[in-house]
Amino acid sequence: MKIIVAIKQVPERDAQVRIDAAGNWIEETDLQWALNESDAYALEEALQLKEKNGGEVVVVSAGPERVGSTIREALAKGADRAIHIDCDDLNQRDALSVAKLLAEAVKPESPDLVLTGLQSDDLGYGQTGVILAALLELPHASLILHVEKTTTGLHVKRELEEGWFQNIELPTPAVLTIQSGGSKLRYATLMGIKRAKTKEVRRINPAELGVPASAMVALERIAQPQKQKSTQILPGSAKEAAAALVEKLKFEVRVL
Amino acid sequence: MSGVWIVLEQREGRVGRISWEALAAGQRLAAQFNLAANAVLIGSQTESLAAEVAGKANGKVVRVEHPLLTTYTADGFSLALEQFFRAEAPEYVVFPHTYQVRDYAPALAARLGQVLIGDVTGIGEGPVFIRQLLQGRLNGSYRHTGGGPCFISVQSGAFRAEVIETGGAEVSVFTPAIEAVQIRTKPGEPFRDSAQTVDLGSAAMIVSVGRGIKEAENLPLIQDLATALGAEMAASRPICDNGWLPMERQVGSSGQTVSPKLYIAVGISGAIQHLVGMKGSQCVVAINKDPDAPIFEVADYGIVGDLFEVVPALTEAIKAAKQ
Amino acid sequence: MCSVTHHTTSSTLILYLASSPMILLPATLAEPQHFSLWERLLIVGLAAASAFLFWQRFGVVLDKILHSKKDADFRLFPIGRRIFDFVWEVMCQAKVIRQRPLPGLAHAFVFWGFCAFVLVTLNHFAVGLGIGFLDPKSIIGGFYFCFAAVFALACAVGILGLFVRRFLVRPRWLGKKLSYESGFIALLIFVLMVTYLASFFVANASPTATALWWIHTLALLTFLPIIPHTKHLHLVLSPATVFLSRGGFSKIPPLAGDEDFGLVTGKDLTRLASLQAYSCVECGRCTEHCPAANTGKLLNPKEIILGLRGYLNEFGPASDEPLLGKYIAQDAVFECTSCGACEYQCPVGIEHVPIIVGLRRGAVNTGAWEDDHGGKLFLALERGSNALGISAGERDKFIQKQALPIFDGTQEYCLWLGCMGGYDPKGREIVADFARVMEYLGASYGVLRKEKCTGDPVRRLGNDLVFQQLAEANLEAFAQNKVKKIVSICPHCVRTIQDDWKEYGTPPEVEHHSEFLARHLSQLPLVQSQEKIVYHDPCYLGRYRNTYEQPREVVERAGGLVEAPHSHERSFCCGAGGGLAFLGEEPGERVSHVRARELAGTGATMVGTACPFCNSMFRDALAAEGEGVPQLLDIAQLTARSLPSTESGSAG
Repeated sequence: MKIIVAIKQVPERDAQVRIDAAGNWIEETDLQWALNESDAYALEEALQLKEKNGGEVVVVSAGPERVGSTIREALAKGADRAIHIDCDDLNQRDALSVAKLLAEAVKPESPDLVLTGLQSDDLGYGQTGVILAALLELPHASLILHVEKTTTGLHVKRELEEGWFQNIELPTPAVLTIQSGGSKLRYATLMGIKRAKTKEVRRINPAELGVPASAMVALERIAQPQKQKSTQILPGSAKEAAAALVEKLKFEVRVL
Repeated sequence: MSGVWIVLEQREGRVGRISWEALAAGQRLAAQFNLAANAVLIGSQTESLAAEVAGKANGKVVRVEHPLLTTYTADGFSLALEQFFRAEAPEYVVFPHTYQVRDYAPALAARLGQVLIGDVTGIGEGPVFIRQLLQGRLNGSYRHTGGGPCFISVQSGAFRAEVIETGGAEVSVFTPAIEAVQIRTKPGEPFRDSAQTVDLGSAAMIVSVGRGIKEAENLPLIQDLATALGAEMAASRPICDNGWLPMERQVGSSGQTVSPKLYIAVGISGAIQHLVGMKGSQCVVAINKDPDAPIFEVADYGIVGDLFEVVPALTEAIKAAKQ
Repeated sequence: MCSVTHHTTSSTLILYLASSPMILLPATLAEPQHFSLWERLLIVGLAAASAFLFWQRFGVVLDKILHSKKDADFRLFPIGRRIFDFVWEVMCQAKVIRQRPLPGLAHAFVFWGFCAFVLVTLNHFAVGLGIGFLDPKSIIGGFYFCFAAVFALACAVGILGLFVRRFLVRPRWLGKKLSYESGFIALLIFVLMVTYLASFFVANASPTATALWWIHTLALLTFLPIIPHTKHLHLVLSPATVFLSRGGFSKIPPLAGDEDFGLVTGKDLTRLASLQAYSCVECGRCTEHCPAANTGKLLNPKEIILGLRGYLNEFGPASDEPLLGKYIAQDAVFECTSCGACEYQCPVGIEHVPIIVGLRRGAVNTGAWEDDHGGKLFLALERGSNALGISAGERDKFIQKQALPIFDGTQEYCLWLGCMGGYDPKGREIVADFARVMEYLGASYGVLRKEKCTGDPVRRLGNDLVFQQLAEANLEAFAQNKVKKIVSICPHCVRTIQDDWKEYGTPPEVEHHSEFLARHLSQLPLVQSQEKIVYHDPCYLGRYRNTYEQPREVVERAGGLVEAPHSHERSFCCGAGGGLAFLGEEPGERVSHVRARELAGTGATMVGTACPFCNSMFRDALAAEGEGVPQLLDIAQLTARSLPSTESGSAG
């Protein structure tokens, strides 16, 4: 089974983000980067499938030079080789444009399965995998927690809202977007990092893939949201405080 | 050009709140640009729903009907709507940002050479569409720059459903041409994971209790609150150590790590061992009589008071609100 | 108190006995009659056979040690430390005696007896071959034989005592199984001493003297081949083990080269590890003091060492068989708190912690160890900044709220918060109080805008990848911020910065806040209280850093110091070290509860700690003891109580 995992490098969870001078992206210098969380789960799912069914896991990632460290991390965790789509304008591309890059890179590989994370922790579009399926003209399913190979294709467990799930059968090749938390992530090991040094990373640029930078949708400006998280103490008697809390749960937290 | 189209989602024969919110957002957008606000219902046998929608919309209500659309599939829905929107050529298409929409709308937009602006929380002049970036740390303003229809999906709760105008829209039917072979996935029936005894990790709401409860006999107080909310009950380590609740309900460094939408910490002071287990909660409510308890530092809402007074009052208020 | 009394009585008793034979003994040692050629050939033959049998086993052991991997970090120099250790620990038997005075002294007499006997034994065989060089009738010979007789008597009494202890008293750390070979060895040693002493009471060249000579000889020649087959191998190996030990307490050696992932298979065992495995004398001191072994866990440090020996015996140092498996259980290895009590106690120079951490490295660096909590910790530190997995923004909020000054390179001290000080509510209280004290003293300090975990938990759990990333990132941050002096409330941070980071660069000077406080005590207000405060020695401050007195000085200024039954270098762990604070529920009894009970049992009204991890462990554990348990404060908090209260609003 040949599995391609599309992964993205995003700012580290704890990173302090500042808006850049142009006002439409964040200052990237001094930022620390990490593998996008749901992509880590996609990679984990791919590695487990390979361990069970044999085959090959190829990671593909688009982004500038710095993406190399995340690619090496994926190789260290057990991916067999990687494709690095070298592009500096990733955040100016919309989801369709990024999916086109990935689609062109994936096509010649003719994989049995393409996995991506559900959504990125930075832009959070949550669309790249689904669009990729449309571009590759493959069936897809999103929000997947678990993948099993069957004789005819795949049996996957999809998360629905409010604690419901659904099983879906689909033929291969297919595209799946993986939800975080479906399996336990493996940690990176020293041995993995050392072994990764000799694995192949093929670099390719958007021009070679024939995908020009174009956007149907533009991110014009970014700004700090108004409210900062701080504790609101609800005053009054037990009854008053309870009533105030119910209001909050209803209209702000929206759980009632 | 045919104005704003709002795609409503039905589940178990009902149109959910978020779809009404999407309708409201679409109507507001339509008003801004002097466009008609129309609604689409997709599926089979949607007559009665369409009538309900027609009572809340001014423009057209179209039932996209086909037997192959009875059960949701990404292939079926995107094929059907692709044909429909190719025919209608809308200016804007508004979806509720649900799991279902996330599953097919990006593909649908791509088939039409468009990109969905997803999870929109606000609409500004232009129009620009506001959505969150970096997990809520920043907001981004998006503009549709290309030609053709603009696809957006709106976040749950971002637009109030109350502002919907009343109207008497006419209902029509659109029958797409779909064949069974075009639907490549076979979805199963929805189910809940019943095998697991307690799965705090995936619980949407948790009421957690700590040492402040004093005696095991007082636990029903907390159970009542959890039941009223429809939440799972959990505890800090001392409670489970005492055997008052089973170990599998322990939240913290040596127990479960949870990330519910709502976490109510009752009588929990907030030792690090506990905080580590619940820090991923989206909203934390703390009820504690000690105003200096560290739990208040991580809480979104706090009530400083005696839990034996606050909890029953809260249970009653929630029951009342749910009726 | 009890043990001290025993100590004095027993030594007086032995001294008394030791001085008495001088009066009882006749001046000369009887020698056997001259032996015929055949008899001499028999002696030579028997000696050769004995030596051959000795070598048959010892050669194998030596071979296994020498065919183990070279220790890449081994340096013979500076040799002064090695000579000192050798003299102090081997010749003076200091460690043996200090940690267990009564059996220790008994052992020391046996050891010293053997030393004194070297010359006697050489002469004994020389006499048998007719080439004796020490004449009992000469002044030197006469004196030396009497001198040796004193030791012989002490040795005989000692071995008798050890025999009684092993077979009648039977302390539980010696293991459940009775070692009959030890009994036999004791008998041989006893026979050796008795036959020697008896020779003073018989006529020279008499048949009895000859018989005694033969019994002595045969006992000796039987003893020799038994040595390498039993734990008495330590007679030969342990002096070398002590001399060659890595030095520095619980020092984790750097990995050597690209293919070294720690102790994975036999091929990874180094010469020092193998030497130590064969040196174990099975005395069980490590087990006696091990917090895991004392709370019903699988881990028993003695069994780890004997497991290595078992592995070497079966598979040898060239094997690809995993070390964790037949002889050593992975679960046991991950129950170690790295408190180092075992290593501290070991009389033969075995370095348990590097071996246990080495085994963990082997399991973690290759991904063989699977543990939900451990995996979560590693991922938290791969991606985030702290071991608790909390957003770094929470630390910023704390710094803002406390209005802690930001370090800008001009201040004298960089106050290192650490994960506990930056994120744990109790740890934050300690930091806040320590900052108040620093401000009162007018010390110039600042905190770094950003910190990453020092890597202590991952270091002890054997994750070299994450440890290296953290150490390098922090070292770079220190260099960028021009940090020269660090003070920290956490002994784990202090240890890791000062010692473990050295593998990746030169860390700044670092001290623990107890050391800072003790140095400035005279400048702080003296508020005497009658409160009884029991001080708990954190492992990483005491055994790891030898800082015992400074925190006590701080405690004594705040109230009356009470010592716990286990204190100073015998302190009992709180259960948090070695990364275990971040792992799941422990099997058996909780270490923290055992220690908290002991501390509460002293009758003190306050427990004084000097480590935020200990503090956090005892918080729950003391509460579980019920009503009337002592309060719990860090030494910084004890100190801050004496400061005049200030308006907190001034910080705005």
